[in-house]
This record gives sequence, structure tokens and C-alpha cells, in this order.
Amino acid sequence: MSAVPLESSPENPLPVRTVARAIGSWVARLGRVWMEGQVTELARRPGMGTVFLTLRDPAAEVSLRVTCSRALCDTLGPQLDEGARVIVWARPEFHLARGALTLTAYDVRPIGVGELLLRLERLKSVLAAEGLFAAERKRRLPFLPHGIGLVTGRGSAASRDIQENAARRWPSVCFIVREVPVQGPAAAAAVSEAIRALDHDMSVEVIVIARGGGSVEDLLPFSDEHLLRVAAALTKPLVSAIGHEQDTPLLDLVADVRASTPTDAAKRLVPDLGEQVHHIGVLRRRAWRCVTHTVDRESALLVALRSRPVLADPARDVRRRSEEVVALRARSRRCVEQRIEAAQADLTRATSHVRAVSPAATLARGYALVQDQAGTLVRDSADVSVGQPLDVRLATGRLSVDVTRTMPAPLNPPAQPSQDQAGAREAAGRQGRTS
Amino acid sequence: MELSYEQARAELEEVVRRLEAGGVPLEESLALWERGEELARICQSWLDGARRRLERGAEPEQPPAS
Repeated sequence: MSAVPLESSPENPLPVRTVARAIGSWVARLGRVWMEGQVTELARRPGMGTVFLTLRDPAAEVSLRVTCSRALCDTLGPQLDEGARVIVWARPEFHLARGALTLTAYDVRPIGVGELLLRLERLKSVLAAEGLFAAERKRRLPFLPHGIGLVTGRGSAASRDIQENAARRWPSVCFIVREVPVQGPAAAAAVSEAIRALDHDMSVEVIVIARGGGSVEDLLPFSDEHLLRVAAALTKPLVSAIGHEQDTPLLDLVADVRASTPTDAAKRLVPDLGEQVHHIGVLRRRAWRCVTHTVDRESALLVALRSRPVLADPARDVRRRSEEVVALRARSRRCVEQRIEAAQADLTRATSHVRAVSPAATLARGYALVQDQAGTLVRDSADVSVGQPLDVRLATGRLSVDVTRTMPAPLNPPAQPSQDQAGAREAAGRQGRTS
Repeated sequence: MELSYEQARAELEEVVRRLEAGGVPLEESLALWERGEELARICQSWLDGARRRLERGAEPEQPPAS
């Protein structure tokens, strides 16, 4: 057959049979192929030798019609049913009469649970090697999300559980719900699409996928590679709440948080209002007490500072200084007084001494002092002349006399009074030095 | 610029310390004392203000035991 496009024009249109045959020959060239898919429809019509089934790609909206001989179908028994994963060896054919494409199956091999689990293990190690499960990829959930994107089955118990429990904890919680098929061939693609849409929804801060428990096959969509990759690429944190505690779809490993049940998911999504109110009350009280305590302590400290003598009694210093001044004054006064007393004592001593050696005592003994008019003491008769008036001082009173005669002195020792005077001067000098 | 409570208190402590240490000339010690009084007044007004604000807030209710 030629691979050249059919030549045609409005003037020379091709008949339908030519076009149909061309399609048929193109399709026939594909030959027999092995392919894998999920059975979504199975029509075993009684009395007919052929069974019709629809095979669907689990990750995309793609389906093909497959016909299979009754005999082949019967050998598989209940293993071949709607929802089953199968590998089909078939040949695409174009039926000219109906213009329909079908695949004629020569072999159909259901994929058993063991095989499915083995595949999941392989996928798990591939994704783990890529780092999709790494702990450092996990994001923290927001403390109180404004909007929670919920992907769940229509009217499911999981959906109700999660919404009711969340509302009980935080009454104003807001869910943006996307209802999708949560099992069967359409589930993986629908869930992928729903979480992608929620990721773009600005009001959504965290996304949760919730589904009740089920068989391994029921939960297969949540281990679908395509869904897992979409989930890993989300910008918002994802909570996986699939099945029961023992169910571990791979989505649990990709999600940022794995909730064991829908109730547990509600707990992780929103805080408990009562707990928060209580907590805030405790914090307020602690803060108040702490500040009050600080102010009390500082007040006491300030009181202590202000009552320190330097501040409380500032006059004390002035008083101390003025006492010092008083003391100094007293000291200086005492000092001067002592000096004066000492001088007085000196003077008294000197006076008595002077008195002791003064001529008064000599005069009292009967001596007299003779002075001329000028007041000069007369010591030598040669110094006066006859008729000269002289003054004579006695111990008591004076005499005025005239010289009637002068006599030269005999050879005598020096007069006693001059000796006494010299001794008195000497004694006074000694006193002055010792005082 | 208004002193903060901590600044005023630290300076007040320093003033008291210097006054207590002695050896300060009389004129200077009077100036120090006046400064100390001023600082004590600043500290007191901070504390009075804080106490008024605390009283306005009143002590929160004891929250019910959880």
C-alpha cells in the first residue's frame, strides 16, 4: 500500500469506500500490539460469540473498544471484570461497514494483586530515587488556613467526617470542595485535575485529598504515577487522608502531611478554638504578671535608691561640712588662745623678773639714785659742780638738792647698783630665751 | 530627648555611687544631687505610667482549666 496521501479536490471527490479502505489499510499496518489498560465496560451478551469491552488508560481520558472471543473471556472468569487491570494482545482493525475502529484481542492477561503491588514497589523506588518523598520537600501546614481545598467523593463519609470535625474545632473553617470519582479508572485523572485547579485557586491555602478505606485495587488511583507527579508539583501543602491507618497509597509519601483518618486530617488542618482561647488566656495572664512583677521590682529598686542617705538626706553632706568648719574654727581659736595664754604667762614671768631686778628693791634697801637735770644718773662726783641742782630718788619720794661740795672718789671697788643692774639684764635675757 | 527608664535608672545609680564614694567637691556634689533628684523623678514617672496602664488592663481572668 502506498503512503502517499489520497489525492482529491472538490471537482474530483473520492468515494467513501476508497477513503474507508485507505483508513483500513493504514490501521492494518499497525499489526498486533501489547497494551495495558483498565476495563471500564464489559458487555457479555448472551448468545453472542464476541464480548465487547472498553479499555481505558488510567492516567488519561483515552479509551479504546476491544472485542474478545467468548471462549477467551470465559477462561478468565471473574478475573476479567469492570475495573480490572489487563494486558491485552490485540490488533487494531477498521470495520468498513460501520466505519468504527476496534481492536480484536488474541490474548487477555489480567494483572493480579501481587503484580500490582510489585509494580507499586518499583514505582515507589523510582520516585524515592528521584527524591519525591524526601523529608526536606515537606512543607509545614499553615497554622490557620483561610481556605481548605478538599478533594473527595460525592457525599462520602470521609468528606463529612473531615468537614464536621474541622468545623467542631474551628467553626469558621472554610472548605472549597471538589467532588470527584475516588475509585475506578477515572479517579486518578479527576483527582489530578482537581488538585491542580485548587492549587491555582487563590483562596485555597492547603489541599486535602480524602477518601475512605477500600481494597488495594480501590486505592490504586492514589498510587498512580501521573497523580503523584502532579501532587509533587503543587505549590501549596498537601494532606493525604486516604483509607485507614494500614492503607499506604504512594500519595501518602508524596503528600506533605499524612493523616491516618479523615478525623485526624481535620485535627491537622485547623487548630482547636477552645484550646487556642485557653492558651491565649494563659499567655495574657503570664504577660500581665510578668510586666507587673517587673514594675514592682523596679519600683522597689527606685524606692531603695531614693532612700539612700545621699539622696534622702542631701543636707547631711552640707551638715558634715559645716561641722567640719565649726571644728576647724574651734581648733584655730584654741590654737590662737593657747598662743595668747603662753605669751601672757611669758609676760607675767618676765614682769616679775623685771620687778625682782629693778632698782626699786635696791632703793628699798636704802640706796638712792641721783640724777642731774637732764635725767642722767650721776655716778662720779667729778661730773657735778658745786651749786648744781640734782634730783635724788628714794624708795619712797624724791628730793631736790643742791651740791654744796664735791669730793674725789677714794680707790674703791665699782659701785654695787651697777653690778646689780648688769645681773638683772642678764637674768631677763635668760628668761626671754627660755620662754 | 526624654530618657528611657533604663537610661535614667543607670544614670541615677551612677550618681548615687559617685555621691557615696565621696571626694566630690561640694559644688559638684550639689549638682549631682540635683541631677539624681531629676533622674529619680523621671524613673518614678515611667513607673507610675506603667502602673496606670497595667491597671487599665486589669489582671486577666484566670482561664478555665483545660
